[in-house]
Amino acid sequence: MHIMEGFLPSPWWQIWFLVSLPFIIIGLYQLNRLVQEKREVLPLLAVAGAFVFVLSSLKLPSFNGSCSHPTGTGLGGVLFGPCIAAVLGLIVLVFQAVFLAHGGITTLGANVFSMGIAGPVVAYFIYRAGTRVGANTYATVFCAAALADLVTYVVTSVQLALAFPGTAGFLGAFTAFAAIFAVTQIPLAIVEGAVIMLVFKYIVQLKPEILTRLNLLSESTIRKLQEATA
Amino acid sequence: MYEVLEDFAQTNDLRETSPGLKLFIGLSSILLCVSSPDPAAPLLVAATMSAAVLILAKIPARFYGRLLLVPVSFAMMSIAVVLFVTGSGPVLFEAPGLPLAVTADGANLALLLLARVFGGMCSLYFIALTTPMAEVFDILRRLRVPAVFIDLAMLTYRFIFILIEEAGQIYRSQVMRLGYGRFRESVQSSGMLAGALFLRTWESGEALVLAMDARCYDGKLGIPGETRPISFIALVSTLIYLGTIFCVSLSTGGPVFA
Repeated sequence: MHIMEGFLPSPWWQIWFLVSLPFIIIGLYQLNRLVQEKREVLPLLAVAGAFVFVLSSLKLPSFNGSCSHPTGTGLGGVLFGPCIAAVLGLIVLVFQAVFLAHGGITTLGANVFSMGIAGPVVAYFIYRAGTRVGANTYATVFCAAALADLVTYVVTSVQLALAFPGTAGFLGAFTAFAAIFAVTQIPLAIVEGAVIMLVFKYIVQLKPEILTRLNLLSESTIRKLQEATA
Repeated sequence: MYEVLEDFAQTNDLRETSPGLKLFIGLSSILLCVSSPDPAAPLLVAATMSAAVLILAKIPARFYGRLLLVPVSFAMMSIAVVLFVTGSGPVLFEAPGLPLAVTADGANLALLLLARVFGGMCSLYFIALTTPMAEVFDILRRLRVPAVFIDLAMLTYRFIFILIEEAGQIYRSQVMRLGYGRFRESVQSSGMLAGALFLRTWESGEALVLAMDARCYDGKLGIPGETRPISFIALVSTLIYLGTIFCVSLSTGGPVFA
């Protein structure tokens, strides 16, 4: 859910910039260290960023006829951890703003927080928790991606309701924004969860070494998953 | 669509103007739009930016019109909420049978937001259609943005075009095989598309590592920067333009619906 350019009045857009800034700085720091250690990760991160961009400009099928686009950031959060996903999210959002006019420059801080930080953080922790308790891997990935999408939309509603409480107050405005976005976002979150789950399944079947190299799955789990589908 | 935008950015009639100046105009217009308390200044920005895109940069009007229609759905939904949630002032309109009413304050706020969004969108398209991304990277580097960020952004940018092409090919072949006939199938096909795309992406990333290593990549990408001086007339007219918008936004400020 992108907030359009010009939609957030000051001081709100400045506040969201300040909120997002620490995550970006930590992300850049981690990125710098990672690239110095293993410089081959830079092109791989770049293709992942491009993948998030393309995924978020794909149209997913939706129940109610309207087509909506996924956030795609849940996958980034699971694969690279939340801080680096925030940097990737920032890059993707800048491109969407300056060459699609999707989102904006003043609303960049707010959008980075909802799509690049809140979503990936949720996806990352759900995935870690899921693998620790030994839940079904596909179910975990589904939950991580779907909830990352839902959290993104809830955070967007909070941001809009804080900026425009109206006479109904924050809670009233939040319910109104959340209700109107829910029409498209809840079905979309479920579809996105399913799609990301299928992506994961393809990776496990065809190129599992990506997952072992990123320390996401152990080789024994992958063998188990491959046997289950075979 | 994406390739076309970049094509226009490379070939438009404002191509030779200093990229720094174009970015400065676009970004300051956005800031003026957001801080204006009245719809007049953002609408003026929208009109002048569109004029600059259509007349100075000579972008075809039909293409520009289609671009402006792209991001309206979100704006409409959110503005509808603002319209109904802001509930003070005299009532202008009541929905029959529903506890919804549009009041003067709500209408004013919605109008202001619509104007700001419209002005901001036109300014963003002004940047997108007149300034190629490569020049934006050059400016970022001069602004001392960390090199690792710019390298990542440049590589990402390059890959976006390759991936969109591939996604389009996969999608078309899926459509030809009736992959999007029913809802179940379309979810299955979307997953297959994203999965295949991810694997191909990863492989091309690995191929890129090899190619860059073969060309002695040492962790830094060099881009030749060229500086184009800002002409005095361009600078003065920019300042006059921004000053006018600023004065308009200061001098107006009365509510439209009383």
